[in-house]
Amino acid sequence: MLNLLTAERIKLFRSKKLWIVLGILSLLPIIQVMNSNMTVHYGTELVQAIDTVVNGATGILMMEKNGLAILLVMSTFINFFIGEEFQNGTIRNALSLGRSRTHYYLSKLLIAALLTLVGVFILTALGMISFSVVFGFGEVAEISHYFTFAIKTFSTLYLLILANISIYVMISFLTKNIGISLIWSFLYTIGTGFGAGIFQQTQHFKQVTFWFTESFLFYSDFAKPADIARFPEMVLVSLITIVLSSTLGILLFKRTDIK
Amino acid sequence: MSETILKATNILKIYGNYKALDKVSIEIKRGMIYGLIGENGAGKSTFMRAIMGLITTDEGDIELFGESGTKGLQRARRKMGQSIETPALYPELTARENLRVQAANGGVSEREIDDLLRLMSLGDTGKKKAKNFSLGMRQRLAIASTLITNPEFLILDEPTNGLDPSGIVEMREMIQRLVTERGMTVLLSSHLLDELSQIATHYGILHDGKLIRELSKEKLARETRQYIELETSEVQKAVVVLDELGIRDYEVINGTEINIYEHLDDVSTINRSLVLSNVNVSRIGTTRQKLEDYFLQLIGGNRHA
Repeated sequence: MLNLLTAERIKLFRSKKLWIVLGILSLLPIIQVMNSNMTVHYGTELVQAIDTVVNGATGILMMEKNGLAILLVMSTFINFFIGEEFQNGTIRNALSLGRSRTHYYLSKLLIAALLTLVGVFILTALGMISFSVVFGFGEVAEISHYFTFAIKTFSTLYLLILANISIYVMISFLTKNIGISLIWSFLYTIGTGFGAGIFQQTQHFKQVTFWFTESFLFYSDFAKPADIARFPEMVLVSLITIVLSSTLGILLFKRTDIK
Repeated sequence: MSETILKATNILKIYGNYKALDKVSIEIKRGMIYGLIGENGAGKSTFMRAIMGLITTDEGDIELFGESGTKGLQRARRKMGQSIETPALYPELTARENLRVQAANGGVSEREIDDLLRLMSLGDTGKKKAKNFSLGMRQRLAIASTLITNPEFLILDEPTNGLDPSGIVEMREMIQRLVTERGMTVLLSSHLLDELSQIATHYGILHDGKLIRELSKEKLARETRQYIELETSEVQKAVVVLDELGIRDYEVINGTEINIYEHLDDVSTINRSLVLSNVNVSRIGTTRQKLEDYFLQLIGGNRHA
């Protein structure tokens, strides 16, 4: 497993895609703070419930504010990162050396998870810094212990995103093709993200809404005490999603024929 | 008796209703260069993939370096290298970086990278990315990549595919060098028997997923050697004449045909002797079965069977 991770590190640092992903996630907060500054300049007041991030303190919610963008950027990266191994045939090089398929799958998942962590950390840190510079650090309404809140919120948001990352990894391993995995990942993101509204309209499928992590990510306000109280539920759903998708992905990948 | 490197027994691989491999059994011993010959779609790559654990088999057993079972095969495969079908490289990486990745995959040191690049005539590629390499360079880099883990058993699927004549010669010499200098055992495939005949020590002919023939280099040479083909209605009388001429290496094929494997330059002398002995000669002449004809005859025979 360590050998596979070393190989991934060599590939990753020479990959333009890594720098593009980090570039996008670094630019997002800068563009958003400029946009918010202009909004205020033209006389509109920022409201936390609508704008999510309104000062340095609420900058911890950058993942919530950019949930869809993060998912789309990361899904594209993962689809290429894994799909290229199949399309270049390079997956054969590792597997034919007797490397376990489970280890290969987990090494890809781990790299995707680490890159996501680095990406969202940069996004959040730059968001907090830039919004602090422009609007001051301020506070989050009704939060007395900011540090604890920040750690819990960041961890929960990261886990919600990680659950989707795990789904994208599974899709990439199952489709073995960049184009097809891009389509399925996009459909999954849009479908589960915006399907919540449809589920809510039906009596029988109402409960299904919160089986998907994106429902929490897109429809919760992580600064609201009522939603903060649901953090354990969010963590549980995320962990179940990660375990289920990875188990299913590994089992099916082990049975897959490599061309 | 030399060590068995690969023992594949009754390997069956089915895709839908199609048998890609139909009970194929092959045994390869240390030091062999085993050439797997077959038309496109005969099952060569499928067999190689099955050996490398890239595809699951529906039936059959694989034993590598005396080891079997999932864990045993995983251990054994660390002593192997493969280049199946297209060269599997990272197009955005340089030759050196491609080798670094494979060294990491195999958990071996990067010490041999420079030597391998030189061995494969890729020492001066510098920062050139693999995507800008010629096909020959990519093939050589793919082989370098398989060698980085110091394999004892090398699997090469159509290594000369798409190469120009000088590239083919170069590749052949390189494989021979690997066998003589590093003592490797090689399983390689081609759809050209003629090409394999210049390097392989043993042959397996695959057709429609079945192993229809296995033979050694010597046996192939015997079966495809040059001979005098004699056609006569009086075979018995002709045999007496041949014996009188001191010819021993001949074969009576049927009631009208004799193949003579010696005195190949004495066709006119043999003909004169036969005529002087009142043997009716319908046809006499030197012939040589081309390897490709031999191959086509084999698979054709199988097709009509």
